[in-house]
Amino acid sequence: MSVRQGMLALLAEQPMHAYQLRQQFEHRTGGTWPLNMGQVSTTLDRLVRDGLVEPLAEQGDEPAFYRATATGRDELARWWATPVERTSPARDELSIKLALAVTAPGVDVTALVQAQRTETMRALVDLTRLKADIPAAGPAPDDLAWSLVLDNLVFAAEAEVRWLNHVEARVARAVRTAGVAPASTETRTEAHR
Amino acid sequence: MVLSLRGVTRVHGSGPTAVRALAGVDLDVRLGELVAVMGSSGSGKSTLLNIAGGLDGPTDGAVTLAGDELHALDLKARARLRRRSVGYVFQDFNLIPALTAAENAALPRELDGISGRTARREARAALREVGVEALADRFPDEMSGGQQQRVAIARALVGPRRLVLADEPTGALDSATGEDIMRVLRARIDAGAAGLLVTHEPRFAAWADRTIFLRDGVVVDGTGTRGGPESLLAGTRR
Repeated sequence: MSVRQGMLALLAEQPMHAYQLRQQFEHRTGGTWPLNMGQVSTTLDRLVRDGLVEPLAEQGDEPAFYRATATGRDELARWWATPVERTSPARDELSIKLALAVTAPGVDVTALVQAQRTETMRALVDLTRLKADIPAAGPAPDDLAWSLVLDNLVFAAEAEVRWLNHVEARVARAVRTAGVAPASTETRTEAHR
Repeated sequence: MVLSLRGVTRVHGSGPTAVRALAGVDLDVRLGELVAVMGSSGSGKSTLLNIAGGLDGPTDGAVTLAGDELHALDLKARARLRRRSVGYVFQDFNLIPALTAAENAALPRELDGISGRTARREARAALREVGVEALADRFPDEMSGGQQQRVAIARALVGPRRLVLADEPTGALDSATGEDIMRVLRARIDAGAAGLLVTHEPRFAAWADRTIFLRDGVVVDGTGTRGGPESLLAGTRR
């Protein structure tokens, strides 16, 4: 959905051909979500089918240019004005892994949490280094867009580290207070019988 | 090596009520290096910071500051070494309200017994390093929180001081200002200092070269960086 709306937003700014569209999309989002030409063509076909985008008359050997229609602009205005839905949680491998780990026999949950935290923290450090390369004061508009995409990834990584800290503390507390050992010892098995 | 801890253990109290705040901690901080310390409340972060700065002593183990083992020195020599090697940055800035930015930054040097003129010159240089020389004559209540924290970093590293111990330096600042402070701290350390940063915010810890996690006084895991940032994103433009 976001690729479709993102391409529509670009075509509302100025007419573009498919290759330009791909370049602009990647440029404006810092190359974080690369597109292949197949995706771009398919999405363009659907936008045309739905009357949101129209091809301009071809001129000689020039590739076909596309622009947003009035309907497309209305659709775009609705997109800007409507919050992104957050009702159904994204399927997240780590959440699934941890939910299963606390009940599965033979898994050392504390070790799992610490290894994951090390990995996520490394990713956070790497993102921060990319951010550090962008001047803090008065970044150019392109840098600002890229910097905000990075911020999104930074905050997501931070949330994961915080959640892992929380999991570590809760698991430790469970072990201390109830003798529950999620590292799948006999105690845990007994507690659940 | 600016700071080195070897097998540092700290037990508060004795007998059945004894609390082991740190247990066998090894830690090295080199010039140009910033190390972040994370952990939940009561994990030993504050004790670690106090011991690193010589404000508290280990029950067992050794702390070496700027090449001298702290507890091999007598009290007077230890206080002098501590004063001349270490500066602190706190969450609430802790600037003296009746002194200007320059006077605040010069104060540690004046307490070192340096002449007023030299202290003022060094304070200006320290303020310049963190980008607030233009605010030298302002009082703390005439500056924003971010500006005050820059002055606090200047004061911590004025003159010969090479080690900054920062206790939640971004804690009283909004997210964007907190990031500015981390940029300044990072740049200041890259320019020739070392730092130990206690924070509960992972995105600020990520400005450090390494992060260690404490739990019940023990270092449970630590991170350095592996590979470059390029490995992280599928197709960055940098």
